[in-house]
Amino acid sequence: MRHLDIVKQFQPSLHTETHAPSPDMVDDDHYRAYTRSSHDLGGEPDIPITWEEKEEEIWEHNTFVTCEVLAWRGVWNAEERRRRQNVDVGQTIYLGLPYYGRWLMTAALILVDKQYVTLSELQDKIHEVRQRYE
Amino acid sequence: MSNKPVYDREHHVKKATGIGDPQCFTGEAPAAKFKVGDQLRVRDLPDLFYTRTQTYLRGTACTVSAVVYESPAAEDESWDNTDKVEWFYSLVFKQSDLWPDYPSAFGNDTLETELPERWLESA
Repeated sequence: MRHLDIVKQFQPSLHTETHAPSPDMVDDDHYRAYTRSSHDLGGEPDIPITWEEKEEEIWEHNTFVTCEVLAWRGVWNAEERRRRQNVDVGQTIYLGLPYYGRWLMTAALILVDKQYVTLSELQDKIHEVRQRYE
Repeated sequence: MSNKPVYDREHHVKKATGIGDPQCFTGEAPAAKFKVGDQLRVRDLPDLFYTRTQTYLRGTACTVSAVVYESPAAEDESWDNTDKVEWFYSLVFKQSDLWPDYPSAFGNDTLETELPERWLESA
């Protein structure tokens, strides 16, 4: 349960107390900041990051192919995929997970959302695969 | 057997196969409101839940450089709503209109991007 020590660090990112504020504590600018969708469109202030040329790894290629196949089979279109992996994951995951990590997580979630697999089936499968490596 | 409702999840891919997307929407949009050379402004519509319209463009003047294709807007297509098709425009902005501290030495720099008609109004 060591990850809970990290979870508690996500919360204070606004550097003010934000637990269940009353409506008059959220002004228009804060409302728009909260509800703005995270995206790859640019134009937002941020810290500089280092550009690194990086070969894609096998799991990243496999993730890309999986997501394309889901599109060919009509499970989602590119715009729905983009919404889910950029916006629906929330800002913390958008900035916190690798690019193809968001793709992979979103591919699993769409299969649950659209009832191709149940979450309990997915849990059991992830657990089964994990045990192969323990 | 499941009694869940059946949804034709392949309706979009069937429509686009062999034609391409957005080419598969050709002819479905109402007549284009704007033409090449028109001076427009980007509307500041709510960006709740999803959009592909850059926040930094809102309220900024631009010029139509091309009327590019017909497609559903991103806000609709992202929930697989593809019935409302509209024209998309390629638009040119002055960089100095977009960024408050853009260096005057590069005053002629421009940025070009595509937006759907619903985000645009006459300047």
